[in-house]
Amino acid sequence: MSALLEVTDATMRFGGLVALNAVSFSIGRGEVLAVIGPNGAGKSTLFNVVTGVYRPTSGQVRFDDADITGRPSHEVVARGIGRTFQTSRLFSDLSVLDNVIIGMHTRTKTGVLGALFLPGASRREMAACVETAEILLKASSGDLFEQRHRPAGTLAQADRRRLEIARALASEPKLLLLDEPSVGMDEVETDALIADISRLRTERPELSVILIEHDMRVVEAFPDQVMCVDYGSKIAEGDFARVKSDPRVQEAYLGKAAVHA
Amino acid sequence: MGARMSSEMPGFGLATVLAVGIQILGAAFLYLILKAEGGWQVIGLLALLAAGFYLIEKRPQITEYVTASFSRVPVVALVTAVIVVVLFPFAVGNNTYVLHLLIVAQLYAVLALALNFQLGSANIPNFATGASYGIGAYVSALLAINFGLSFWLTLPAAAIAATLFGFLIGIPSMRTRDTYLALVTIAFGVVVQQLLNNFDWTGGPNGLVGIPAPSLFGHSFADPLVVFGWKLPSQANFYYLSALLVVVAIITAHRLHSSRIGLAWNALRADEIAARAQGINVAWFKVLAFAVDAFLAAFAGTIYAFYVSYISPDNFTFLVSVTIMTMVIVGGMDNIFGVIVGAFLLTILPEKLRAFSDYRLLFFGIVIIGFLMIRPQGLFPQRIRSYGESR
Repeated sequence: MSALLEVTDATMRFGGLVALNAVSFSIGRGEVLAVIGPNGAGKSTLFNVVTGVYRPTSGQVRFDDADITGRPSHEVVARGIGRTFQTSRLFSDLSVLDNVIIGMHTRTKTGVLGALFLPGASRREMAACVETAEILLKASSGDLFEQRHRPAGTLAQADRRRLEIARALASEPKLLLLDEPSVGMDEVETDALIADISRLRTERPELSVILIEHDMRVVEAFPDQVMCVDYGSKIAEGDFARVKSDPRVQEAYLGKAAVHA
Repeated sequence: MGARMSSEMPGFGLATVLAVGIQILGAAFLYLILKAEGGWQVIGLLALLAAGFYLIEKRPQITEYVTASFSRVPVVALVTAVIVVVLFPFAVGNNTYVLHLLIVAQLYAVLALALNFQLGSANIPNFATGASYGIGAYVSALLAINFGLSFWLTLPAAAIAATLFGFLIGIPSMRTRDTYLALVTIAFGVVVQQLLNNFDWTGGPNGLVGIPAPSLFGHSFADPLVVFGWKLPSQANFYYLSALLVVVAIITAHRLHSSRIGLAWNALRADEIAARAQGINVAWFKVLAFAVDAFLAAFAGTIYAFYVSYISPDNFTFLVSVTIMTMVIVGGMDNIFGVIVGAFLLTILPEKLRAFSDYRLLFFGIVIIGFLMIRPQGLFPQRIRSYGESR
């Protein structure tokens, strides 16, 4: 069976800077891949290349048996790739519920004429969205559901993170990209996050997840496939134990002197 | 019903009293300010209005409670609104000046609602609404004068022409935003006005004269309106026509706002990058906002042209666009009711402040700043959407 996402030799140059250098990797259905690497290694650039924010200088991105290299973001979402951002990007002046409903944009279809001349259909569509959104919010850990009518900007940090994941799930993705979901979380919240992702995997066995993580506790919880990126290049790949013991990974994290000491 | 409502919901009786009473009070206030003469009466009424807004700023529960009352008895509220709007000209009587003000205020309400799709919903600063308004007016006037087309046929023709213009300004807007986008729209507005000024077939600076009055079932809009023995001046025809257009604009605004389109615009306003990541085709939704704005503005332009029967480029200057924008900002971004209140206030106020002769505009500015100090988010700010309620 072919992989769900397959990135081949993706290279991204910004002027003289090589943010990604011939990175290749793939992920199958229902798998979790953790991407680690020092700050500025090119992890977020990788996400942006996959989701169509950037068109790679060279290389190819295949998703679900189609070439999506450089396709616009909205099309990539429609094909089934949902994402969250490193610094949370919620629609802060809209309610929690509306944030999730906007996540369903590619799964709804009322156009201007439909909204104007078939208000009944439009209203039914929104009612269905509200229902689905409430289910998603209830399924999320924490009390997002109870806070659904509050502006998203007033949520606590951990809840913002949960809402971003719920919003990404609303687009019914086949692949979920989480960009440092544990950033700014304390230990208890990080544990809850790990539990959330694990539960997501049991509830949706077909869903694939790519995680960018700095917190090794999160990576340890999903140790099967780990990829380490440094200076835009993939330097190690395999299960967590193997990647962790790779001298090049240790060098990237600790510096040359520390490894050889 | 929303479980978040901490205060108790109004009962049916109280809700009815509130929904009817507040509308009658509002109409009475409008009547008084329209009839007010001399500086002190106007100042007194403005002070009253300011006190009212101060109160609801300090006690937001009042707005919540009143809104809840209106959605508790939607039919009662609607019927009251229709009766108030229909009977208002009878109260005004033969005062054609007041009727004229009301017509202009209603047309501006439509223009402000049109711009609200962009400025309020999607945060697109469009300074070319005045140009779309002008295109609507000129297209319909030219068709009526040169080809003898009736008002009712020029209405859709003008709307289509202006919508195409909207798409045209929308295209550069896909690549620019914020200040740069504002500049592009200003340029478009100026270009349109200059073209109207310099073409021969638009009458140049002299404009177009002799636009025939529309007629409906043999009744010419230039004739007085006689209803059950009551005789209303001919302006009443246009009063009802523009009131109908306001209703169309409200329905359009409400339907788009409560659909997936309105949400997509709001997403765009809050965070363009995040909106893109939700699968929203940002470029298309921006262009769409321009098109809807131009479409509604053209309707207002057509009615204006047939109402005054004489148009010139001076009616559609950059200043008109700025005025419309001020109405949206003062009234309240993305709040249909607020935008209409803003349009009425900003149309009627400068007229009423004529008592201050030379200091008129100074005083006008002070009043606007004063209201914005009391209500920094606009007179009626945007509201969090509520679902499952009866409206």
